[in-house]
Amino acid sequence: MEAIIEVKHLTKEYKQVKAIDDLSFEVKEGEILGLLGPNGSGKSTTINCMLSLLQFSGGSIEMFGQEMKPDAYEIKRKIGVVFQDVAVFDELTVYENIDYFCGLYIKDKETRGQYIKEAVALAGLEEYQKFRPKQLSGGLLRRLNIACGIAHKPKLIFLDEPTVAVDPQSRNHILDGIKALRKAGATIVYTTHYMEEVELICDRVIILDKGKVLATGTCDELKELAKADEKVTVEVTGLREEYLEEIRKLGQIDQASYDGTSLVIHYQKGKNNLLTLIEYLKTKEIYYSKIYSERPTLNDVFLDLTGKELRD
Amino acid sequence: MTVFKAFLRVLWQCKAIVLLYTVILVCFAAFQMQTEQSSIGFLADRPDILLVNQDTAEEEGKDCGLSAGLVSYLMEYCEVADITGEDAINDALFYRDISYIVTIPRHYSEEFFAYLRGETDKKPAVEVRSTGDQEASYAEMLLSRYLRVARVYGAYAENGKELANRVAETLSGQVSVEVASHLDTGGLSKAAFFYNFLNYSLLAGCIYVICLVLASFREEKIRKRTMVSSMNYRTFNRILLLSNGLFAVGLWMIYVLLSLVLVGEVLLSDQGVWYLANSFAFLLCALTMAFLFGTLVKNKNAVNGIVNVVALGSSFLCGAFVPVQMLPKSVLWIAHILPSYWYIQTNEYLKRMENVSPEALRPVLGNMGILLGFALLFIIAANGVSKRTRQIG
Repeated sequence: MEAIIEVKHLTKEYKQVKAIDDLSFEVKEGEILGLLGPNGSGKSTTINCMLSLLQFSGGSIEMFGQEMKPDAYEIKRKIGVVFQDVAVFDELTVYENIDYFCGLYIKDKETRGQYIKEAVALAGLEEYQKFRPKQLSGGLLRRLNIACGIAHKPKLIFLDEPTVAVDPQSRNHILDGIKALRKAGATIVYTTHYMEEVELICDRVIILDKGKVLATGTCDELKELAKADEKVTVEVTGLREEYLEEIRKLGQIDQASYDGTSLVIHYQKGKNNLLTLIEYLKTKEIYYSKIYSERPTLNDVFLDLTGKELRD
Repeated sequence: MTVFKAFLRVLWQCKAIVLLYTVILVCFAAFQMQTEQSSIGFLADRPDILLVNQDTAEEEGKDCGLSAGLVSYLMEYCEVADITGEDAINDALFYRDISYIVTIPRHYSEEFFAYLRGETDKKPAVEVRSTGDQEASYAEMLLSRYLRVARVYGAYAENGKELANRVAETLSGQVSVEVASHLDTGGLSKAAFFYNFLNYSLLAGCIYVICLVLASFREEKIRKRTMVSSMNYRTFNRILLLSNGLFAVGLWMIYVLLSLVLVGEVLLSDQGVWYLANSFAFLLCALTMAFLFGTLVKNKNAVNGIVNVVALGSSFLCGAFVPVQMLPKSVLWIAHILPSYWYIQTNEYLKRMENVSPEALRPVLGNMGILLGFALLFIIAANGVSKRTRQIG
């Protein structure tokens, strides 16, 4: 697949602080790329640089095989952006807002009318076309925000946390819409804090922190990077300290902890971990109410890579 | 067209503001014109006085002619109250029902002649009591005038009646005055009132509406979305400037139509065209100033404050509400830095301009040039600010 975006050695400095440090990555045509990172990791700065909203200190950005510049209007014609904050006119109705933002790209009235119709349908706003933004709920506003960004049928779409603060129904609708856009041939760069969304829609993920790429790959590839391979939880009461020590020595165990009701064991890579544990519990006549095993999630990988300390 | 259409839609939300400033202008202009109409002619005021004539001893064979003449003269020019009793008179004076009390003492007429002929050193006097206000001063002036003329003719009159007749004849003389100038001062004053107040309406209307509309278009989130679009940002800015220009011209035309209704005959005169030209030059200033503020202001809530400070402030400082003649020199000196000053000065000059000639128009053209200079300055500043804020972060 052809690379639609090529970012090479991108650097952005604010006085003494490096917001982006020698960042390089590609976005292939037709894929949904998830851009993950804690607050202040450089996601928004990277996107603003890619959209020429910010000047960068070094490196290069190419889109559709051409250098991206503030006056690269031919490239901009193929791009749609949905910012994190809802960016619509309070004074215009839903239809007028979509018409305005689509009109910045599409001059032909008939074509635009058709495109608006499709965007309204995609966002599920058919019944709200004459409403003003102040009359819409948070979820509807987000959907309007998306409709304004994608109405002109862009080939490349930047979605910056489009599902922040929306109810599950709206979130599902938005995610279905994104899948439909990809199906229609769009390439999508998607930033979010919700790991389940990334697992659900992204083909490839880049984890950023402090302006650097920490990891890149598919969700499964990233999960391989997790320190633990398996997490087993046993709901048991009155577990003696000596048993906990013996469990820690069973092999392949990275970490085991007990809080009085739950015994949580993190295993390194290996086989039959659960079977060995059950046999030990049986031998020692330790009775448990529930036992279950989990694979590491993207969230575990994210926390392993970026650390658990609080960010600004 | 997309941007212009959106501009019109956002502008439509500001219709109440435009209507409000138009209503204020019409009300103020109508009020001022009403005041102006009543001051076109001159009607002498009639002060309220009380007249106590004790010199009525004709039956004793005394000459009371001068006192009778004085009474008849004062009755002609004053409203003479009918009050008796010391308490009632004091109350009337205290409550300003009357402003002046004239008491002519007994034998005043006889003693007046005796004093003039040198038969006595005792100078006869009319007793007066006054509130000291404007009406009282006028009544005092009438009394003094009568007695002054009486003193002049006193030496040549045989008796009081003859003297009173001569004085009355002299004081009733009238001089006809012909105004050499054909200037319609009343009409021009009305036009000047209207166009001076237009300073406030144009400034407030332009700043309020343009700032609000620009704040919508330049709100950070919407600006980002516009900047990443395929529309050239310079073209976008140009369309916005032109749209605002169209709005400002539309607003000006509404006000010009209003002035045609209110002071139409003046606008069709030679001076009227210059009132229009001056207001158009000021409109360019208001438009560019509003554009500059619109570029600076990002918060819609700040617009109200700016309108109050800029439009109200400059209107008060430069004489849009208060006649320029009543403003202290120090205030007018400071006002030189404001476009409103030059606009209002031109209106005031046009009010007095006798005829339209290149020589007479020189100050008008000079002031209009200054206004255009201000407009140029504002647009350069707005452009500079716009360039600085084009990049985010």
